[in-house]
Amino acid sequence: MRVLWLALHFPLFALESLPLRQSPSAVVGRGRILAGDPGALAAGVVPGQKLSTALGLAPELRVFERDPAREAQTLAGLACAAGRFTPSVSLAPPDALLLEIGGCLRLFGGAPALVEAVLAACGEQGWSVAWAAAPTPLAALWLARAGGRRIVTAAQLPAALAPLPCTLPGWPAALVARLESFGLRCLGDLATLPSSGLRQRIGQAPVDDLLRARGELPDPRRCFVFPECFATTLELPSRVEHAEALAFAGQRLLAALAGWLHGRQALVRACTLHLHHDDGSRSALPLRLGEASADEARLLRLLREHLGRLTLAAPVEALCLEADEVLAQTGDSGQLFTEAMAGEGAAACLERLRARLGAQAVQVLGLCADHRPECATVAGDPERQPAAALAKPRPLWLLPTPQPLAERADGPHWHGPLHLVTRGERLESGWWDGGEENAAGDIRRDYFVARNQRGQWAWIFRDARGWFLHGLFA
Amino acid sequence: MSLPAYAELHCLSNFSFLRGASHPDELVGQAAALGYSALALTDECSLAGIVRAHQAAKKAGLKLMVGSEMAIADGLKLVFLVRNREGYGNLSALITLARRRAAKGAYTLQRHDLNAVSPNGALPDCLVLWVPGAAPAVADGRWLAERFPGRLWLAVELHAGPDDAARLAELQDLGAACGLPLVAAGDVHMHVRARRPLQDVLTALRLKTSVFAAGYALFPNGERHLRSRLRLARLYPPELLAETLVVAGQCAFSLDELRYEYPEEIVSSGHTLTSWLRHETEAGLRRRYPQGEPPAVRGRIEHELALIAELRYEAYFLTVYDIVRFARSAGILCQGRGSAANSAVCFALGITEVDPAHSALLFERFISRERGEPPDIDVDFEHERRDEVIAYIYGKYSRERTALAAALITYRTRSALRDAGRALGFDVARIDALTASLAWWDKREQLPERFAEQGLDPASPRVEKWLWIAEQLRGFPRHLTQHVGGFVMSRGPLARLVPIENTAMPERTVIQWDKDDLDAVGLMKVDVLALGMLSALRRMLALVGESRGRPPLQLHEIPANDAATYDMLCRADSMGVFQVESRAQMAMLPRLKPRCYYDLVVEVALVRPGPIQGGMVRPYLNRRQGKEDIELISPAVDKVLERTCGVPIFQEQVMQLAIVAADFMPGEADELRRAMATWRRKGDLQRYQDKLRAGMAKNGLPATFAERIVAQIQGFGEYGFPESHAASFALLIYASAWIKCHHPAVFLCSLLNSQPMGFYSPSMLIQDARRHSVVVLPPEVAASDWDSRVEAAGVVRLGLREIKGLAEVAGQGVAAARRCGPFTDVADLAARSGLARRDLDLLAAADALSSLAGHRRAAAWTAAAVADGGVRRQGDLFAGLPPAESLPTQPATLPAPGEGENLVADYRHLGHSLRRHPLVLLRRQLAARRFLRAADLAAAADRALVRAAGIVVGRQRPGSATGIVFVTLEDESGWANIVVQPWLVDKQRRELLGATLLGVYGQLQQSGQVVHLVAKRLVDLSAWLGRLETTSRDFH
Repeated sequence: MRVLWLALHFPLFALESLPLRQSPSAVVGRGRILAGDPGALAAGVVPGQKLSTALGLAPELRVFERDPAREAQTLAGLACAAGRFTPSVSLAPPDALLLEIGGCLRLFGGAPALVEAVLAACGEQGWSVAWAAAPTPLAALWLARAGGRRIVTAAQLPAALAPLPCTLPGWPAALVARLESFGLRCLGDLATLPSSGLRQRIGQAPVDDLLRARGELPDPRRCFVFPECFATTLELPSRVEHAEALAFAGQRLLAALAGWLHGRQALVRACTLHLHHDDGSRSALPLRLGEASADEARLLRLLREHLGRLTLAAPVEALCLEADEVLAQTGDSGQLFTEAMAGEGAAACLERLRARLGAQAVQVLGLCADHRPECATVAGDPERQPAAALAKPRPLWLLPTPQPLAERADGPHWHGPLHLVTRGERLESGWWDGGEENAAGDIRRDYFVARNQRGQWAWIFRDARGWFLHGLFA
Repeated sequence: MSLPAYAELHCLSNFSFLRGASHPDELVGQAAALGYSALALTDECSLAGIVRAHQAAKKAGLKLMVGSEMAIADGLKLVFLVRNREGYGNLSALITLARRRAAKGAYTLQRHDLNAVSPNGALPDCLVLWVPGAAPAVADGRWLAERFPGRLWLAVELHAGPDDAARLAELQDLGAACGLPLVAAGDVHMHVRARRPLQDVLTALRLKTSVFAAGYALFPNGERHLRSRLRLARLYPPELLAETLVVAGQCAFSLDELRYEYPEEIVSSGHTLTSWLRHETEAGLRRRYPQGEPPAVRGRIEHELALIAELRYEAYFLTVYDIVRFARSAGILCQGRGSAANSAVCFALGITEVDPAHSALLFERFISRERGEPPDIDVDFEHERRDEVIAYIYGKYSRERTALAAALITYRTRSALRDAGRALGFDVARIDALTASLAWWDKREQLPERFAEQGLDPASPRVEKWLWIAEQLRGFPRHLTQHVGGFVMSRGPLARLVPIENTAMPERTVIQWDKDDLDAVGLMKVDVLALGMLSALRRMLALVGESRGRPPLQLHEIPANDAATYDMLCRADSMGVFQVESRAQMAMLPRLKPRCYYDLVVEVALVRPGPIQGGMVRPYLNRRQGKEDIELISPAVDKVLERTCGVPIFQEQVMQLAIVAADFMPGEADELRRAMATWRRKGDLQRYQDKLRAGMAKNGLPATFAERIVAQIQGFGEYGFPESHAASFALLIYASAWIKCHHPAVFLCSLLNSQPMGFYSPSMLIQDARRHSVVVLPPEVAASDWDSRVEAAGVVRLGLREIKGLAEVAGQGVAAARRCGPFTDVADLAARSGLARRDLDLLAAADALSSLAGHRRAAAWTAAAVADGGVRRQGDLFAGLPPAESLPTQPATLPAPGEGENLVADYRHLGHSLRRHPLVLLRRQLAARRFLRAADLAAAADRALVRAAGIVVGRQRPGSATGIVFVTLEDESGWANIVVQPWLVDKQRRELLGATLLGVYGQLQQSGQVVHLVAKRLVDLSAWLGRLETTSRDFH
């Protein structure tokens, strides 16, 4: 079998890993532009520019801080998606993938057809991609970075590599500078100098790299391992308010799922798209197929149908796709669930309960450091670590919303007149989320512990609007 | 119920950085409005806000107590209150002790610091409040009671917590157990409840978190404000409130009692201050005027000495004199400025070179009878040697008695936005984007627009709060740092006058007061400033002397009124000359045509935003050129204005006008000056304008004249330039211009060795020198020292310092090794000079090894194989490689680099090139598109439509020219000045900011010898430069 490596280089990876962003936008790192979208480029924003200059050119530029963790996750998602084409995929971080396609050429009807299929899949997901195929992974990668767009045979390799600039392999800047000081600009120039003298001046590593690229040294690559279970998250750079708009972002997740299924020789019967809303809440969109499948198009049709009917309760910040029921292609029920149940801790159990029942159905009572009583406990997210326990007297049971109390000449009434047991505790806090949806906002209240004639202990407060019952002591 | 009397004993201002949420004057004003009997300002381990509070309290008629809150390292929290001057000194010394042993901004107080120092216990003459924590220990109370017998109270601070009644009972028990009286206190952090959000923000910033995440670190409510006495009466038992008056009654100290005493050692024995100043002045006069001083000078000397004696400022003049005398003895060039500096006395003492016989300066400006403020003399020293002067001052007065004045850093729009955004949880990239976009173009009013552009809806609640918090945060103090050079010295220990703390620089200490505080309290400050031109000038004087085989030339030996020098200035041939090298000054020189020293004084002051906005420039020039008559107003007024053709140009003239035309007292005129400086911020000029109008009307001056003066004063604003500074600057202008004119090689060499300084890059200075027939030779290990030097008359050999990234120790090493004999090859160079590989690479890249290894590629090849000279610098990628000797090497023949490649490398490693200018290589292409050379622009007619192209070497956006951007383009013939009007700035931002090679289609504007090209269209030609790395100096 002939070995052929297809390198996929995503030149705008940092930027395009943020789907659904507004234009013009750019990704920045350490105060400099790393990549800009076409709108930004049209305004004169170029990589390497200082942020302040870029904003001088395009004041409306939206900027996003580079996030290596997000990029790593996205690259893994792309690797999953590539599972559709070949089981042997390697990561070439930060922004490239290597696919060994020699083994599956026949399946797709030859290299050009396979490349075309891969490019089409990338295009559907909105990726700009540069590619090249070569007998060695390093040569493929370098040629792809140089924008090669061609399939190079072993015989053509030396000639194809020679004109590539020395800046391409990503060698340290000091090394590139040294090569340039000798007047060496492209990889081919290196061959014009005596190799022992060169090694003595630039060390062994670059020379070895060249040998690897030419196939004169072995270059083993670590294969991407498809994860055991599929759950992947995609953060959206801006809030999405309409369900239909989510289809594009969902497509990336489904492509990853489809690739993962191929890679694992499996089918999915049910999966769930979790929507993370900007107010911190979550909702789930279960997708159930009539029969198990690994077909991306089919999953996508199903998703579009669901999204078409869906009205978003709140804008969406992130999507998470989780495969719930996975079957081996033989038809057996996937082992994921049963396997997971054995010997897993409470957290994983909780995780699964939530996955099964929906995020809203399983909650824990958590403490949150906030002076506002209604914010001090959260019906919560089990992942959140509980805050330090409250040091103040607080009733366990708080009313969902404070209840207005009747007020007579002798004070507030609740099942008879209330006797104030403590001096007022004044709470004034929370101005920071005032005026926002579903937020408690600024409160200004004097709280009292009070007792009525029935012997009930109540936690009541007075604010500008009058008296309210807020909680009961057990 | 009648309201109880109350004195607040525990109150923090925003000088407790990131804790207090109100300015001291706000607190004082609110306490007075609430009818408090007294207010103690007790900032945490600080007296930095006390002067402001003192001034406000005097205005409001409120009793102010001085104090400080301090926490002992183990958590015990105390508030110290000062009873009298002794107690003040003790507290100030304690703060100094705690501050000096900690890093900048922090303090450490240990229990043993409070060991009894006298039979009366620790920290005599101070009262102490113990602020108990959540679970106070009786043992602590007893420990404190022992140390502060009869002077300790237990502070009860009730803030409507969960159970105030229980807390009160607990503290009453504690007081009984320790035998301590209880007193009410407020732990005040803000003057009104409405500052609660800001206080929360400060807390979050202090903890480096957001208000969302700060949780219980925030106060649960807004009770830590100055509460109404009605509310206090409901919260506290009456006896606790009454006790506050008992405490306040024992504090009788006012800052007015501080008496500053000048150092003593400046006087020779057997003399008084007055007689010593007289003695030294007379001796100086004899030096200055060997033939006897002119009668006018004698008169001024007597007037000044009398005023100095009356105000008792002798010590101040003698202190400055002493420092200047040291500098001269050490060969450090220096010059004083300011009208006190330019007095006849200072001339006699050698503080200034401005001859009083030639100027009529207003001595009252800095010495004002009415205000009792100390005079202010700024002395500039060579920027590279100022540290020697500072070391002298510390040595002479010791750290006990001298420290730098503080500079108070306050929140500006940008920092306020950044911190407010951070506290409100906005992400860093967003905040950076917002604040970065503010940097260069915009005003505060455009903030909402900028928010919108960043995708932030200014009307959304969170963004609204961001703006609102930032607005409140503006002007808040952030931290204390060192003043640029203001030293305070005292006779006794300085720390008993004002606390001293550390700065970020280990060798420097600052007091807690800034220059305004010092003024208010009457403390003397001597400004020891750094000036780059003085360093360059000292080098020039030395080199000129050297070239004549003599000791360094002295400033006063430079021949006066040299026609060639003035001719050169009239041609605006002033690149590198002090002050008049800026583009605006260069444009003015051919119009003003300076022919004498005083013309230079005018030139300095005229090209300032003040006179430009006040509309003084055109009338002055017209009258000077005789195109307009000088109108006569009245003899007194005419006398003030006669030296400037009837147009007020200097700040002093405005003051003098106020005196002679509107009957101001000299001290009032000084107030006017201060008002002029601040009216844009405070807007309190109206009062003076009315008085000016009334006064001039009374003196029968024409109303049109009065209106014009009033308008000019307003335009002057804070940008008016004092004649006394201009006079000192003009001397330096003349001296540097004279050297540029007659010793251009010396001039270039000295400027290069004094970098970084000035307006122009070394590249531009070198090109300018070459146009003046100076031969410039490249840096070369066989010939260059670290510094550039004059190799022969008119020949400058560039120093190795011009090589970017080369360490000074490496460059010095090369020069030192070569003095022992010439290098035989690169290996010899590396071994004898102790060079690291990186240094060799840099030398090769800069083409400085050509004598040893041929062209730069061959040199790089050779250098890369040489063993380092035993020196390894961090991060050396090639450190593990074996040196050449150990391996047989095949010789390699590398082709020599082409001209283009050499240019690229020159620019990258030197920042300039002595080869042909890059644009020579592009000239054919440029000519094909009809781009003219800069030198040919002048030949085109005024208003002609022409094209120019060049490397962008400077962009400037002066504040006075609304929206216009000035661009300087360089080509092989020189520089072209481009004016880009606001409409084009908006339209072609991209080309304007992004292009390194810029083409301009525009219309020529010629006036006299000044040629501007007003751009109509910009073209980015940067691609033509290929890989050439150029830099632009951008000013805004």
